[in-house]
Amino acid sequence: MSALVVGVGDPYRGDDGVGLMVARRIRRHAPAGTVVLEWRGDPETLLSAWDGVERAVVVDAVRTGAAAGTVHRLEPAVAPAALASGPRSSHGLGLAGAIALGEALGRLPRELRIVGVEGRAFALGAPAGEAVRAAVDRAASAVVDELGV
Amino acid sequence: MSERRIEGRVTRRVSVEALARVEGEGAMTLEVDGDRVTGVELRIYEPPRFFEALLRGRAFGEAPDITARICGICPVAYQTSAVLAMEDALGVGVPEPVRRLRRLLYCGEWIESHSLHVYLLHAPDFLGYEGMVDMARDHAAVVQRGLRIKRAGNALVTAVGGREIHPINVRVGGFYRAPSPARLREVAEELETAREEALDAVAWAGRLAFPAFEHHHEHVALSAPGEYAIEGGRLVSDHGLDIAPDEFEDAVVEEHVAHSTALHARLRARPEPYLTGPLARWSLNGDRLAPVAREAAAAAGLPRPCRNPFQSILVRCVEILYACDEALRLIAAYEPPDPPAADVAPRAGVGHGITEAPRGALYHGYRLDDDGLIVNARIVPPTSQNQRAIEADLRAFASASLELPHEELTRSCEQAIRNHDPCISCATHFLDLTVRTR
Repeated sequence: MSALVVGVGDPYRGDDGVGLMVARRIRRHAPAGTVVLEWRGDPETLLSAWDGVERAVVVDAVRTGAAAGTVHRLEPAVAPAALASGPRSSHGLGLAGAIALGEALGRLPRELRIVGVEGRAFALGAPAGEAVRAAVDRAASAVVDELGV
Repeated sequence: MSERRIEGRVTRRVSVEALARVEGEGAMTLEVDGDRVTGVELRIYEPPRFFEALLRGRAFGEAPDITARICGICPVAYQTSAVLAMEDALGVGVPEPVRRLRRLLYCGEWIESHSLHVYLLHAPDFLGYEGMVDMARDHAAVVQRGLRIKRAGNALVTAVGGREIHPINVRVGGFYRAPSPARLREVAEELETAREEALDAVAWAGRLAFPAFEHHHEHVALSAPGEYAIEGGRLVSDHGLDIAPDEFEDAVVEEHVAHSTALHARLRARPEPYLTGPLARWSLNGDRLAPVAREAAAAAGLPRPCRNPFQSILVRCVEILYACDEALRLIAAYEPPDPPAADVAPRAGVGHGITEAPRGALYHGYRLDDDGLIVNARIVPPTSQNQRAIEADLRAFASASLELPHEELTRSCEQAIRNHDPCISCATHFLDLTVRTR
């Protein structure tokens, strides 16, 4: 397998669900040979998915202070700051933690790209906001572009 | 820490405002007056969740999936206690193959939950790291082993339950669909490897440095004839408690305390704290473990009963080994239950169910109306039962450790809390450490 798209998020926490929405959009139009995974926070699941993968693009909601719906392309080295500011799971490590763990164990994909969608509201039980829903197509295009296939 | 002098006495306050490596949101405060710990509070500030209220008016069949959402780590425990209580209320007996399949699913959850706690949350305390990522840089083989064991647990829960968290295959009466023997044989290969690695892990955990500390809480666990109780039994203790699930609400009192959104539970018969979970299970039922687990525990130097909560990491490793072995035994003897569920018809009734969640006994009680709708629900998770024991441990451990430098004291207190793998998310109806030295 050469390419992997990982959508990250919680569909029940407002804008946090955008990573999953983007992954589902891509699944419908995925280039051949691309695997799409929806990740809920178990570190081993993500590390196992990365094993032997050439290139992976992870898409997640981020908070950097930009306008809601802004699509960011982040380097893994700088991504943790934006990711860590989002809601944290008490059960896993979060994406920033999983990337750090993958790095410590030498289990990162050869190339890792991160697409972030700026979120604003992360309330429990709320749907994703309009600005974030309107960004799904642009984020999906950015992910496919980063895949380079 | 704040430190001041009142009439020549030094008072201190040790506090952690947001406890790390616990499941949920909580804080801890110790008040120290001179050489005495005068106050201990495990504060649970995660908001209350009102699950019991939102169950009212829902159909009996919805309880397993609604209550599974209380916890992302032990949903199988919630589902299993819920189905036992509903089957009790509805007068349904389930055939033995269904009970064995429940036990198999539950073994998967023990493997997932215990390996998460041992490797991600607890081991960094013993090896001197801030967290798993730092630990992974120096102890990659240990962490990789933990992750592989957890993956085997995930695979088992997926095979039986339909997905690795919040299984979708559990229903009152049994299962929606029985997994095929071929599907379980695939998982068995991964479990064989996990069992070997779990055996190494018990030896590894036995070599960790355990602070010298003992508590004398009443140990409470389910007991079932001829096996290590998991998915049912009578609730027994080392102080003579021996009750059926329908006696739980009379035997256990829950109280509100001002500093916590979780209820504190105690036994009506004794005011002292009691403890449920791995230490209690091992102490009461360790002789019923499979020989491979008993022998590994003995070789690792685990005493029985075990009264040092810091050794709970070793007990969890023994239980992971047991769960792998038991799962393999159940798979080898597996015949798909046909039909996969007993017939269930709604009726009015009252029912009770207790199972051994990874963190200890989990009680569900329901009252149903004629249409099988929930009139009343009561859920008592292990963490709310253990809160008073955790506070008592902290008080005793901190009292004996006050000469430690503040940072070390704080770290040790956090470790003492993590000994019990408190699940704050489950208990809110929990952690940050403040040691207030007054």
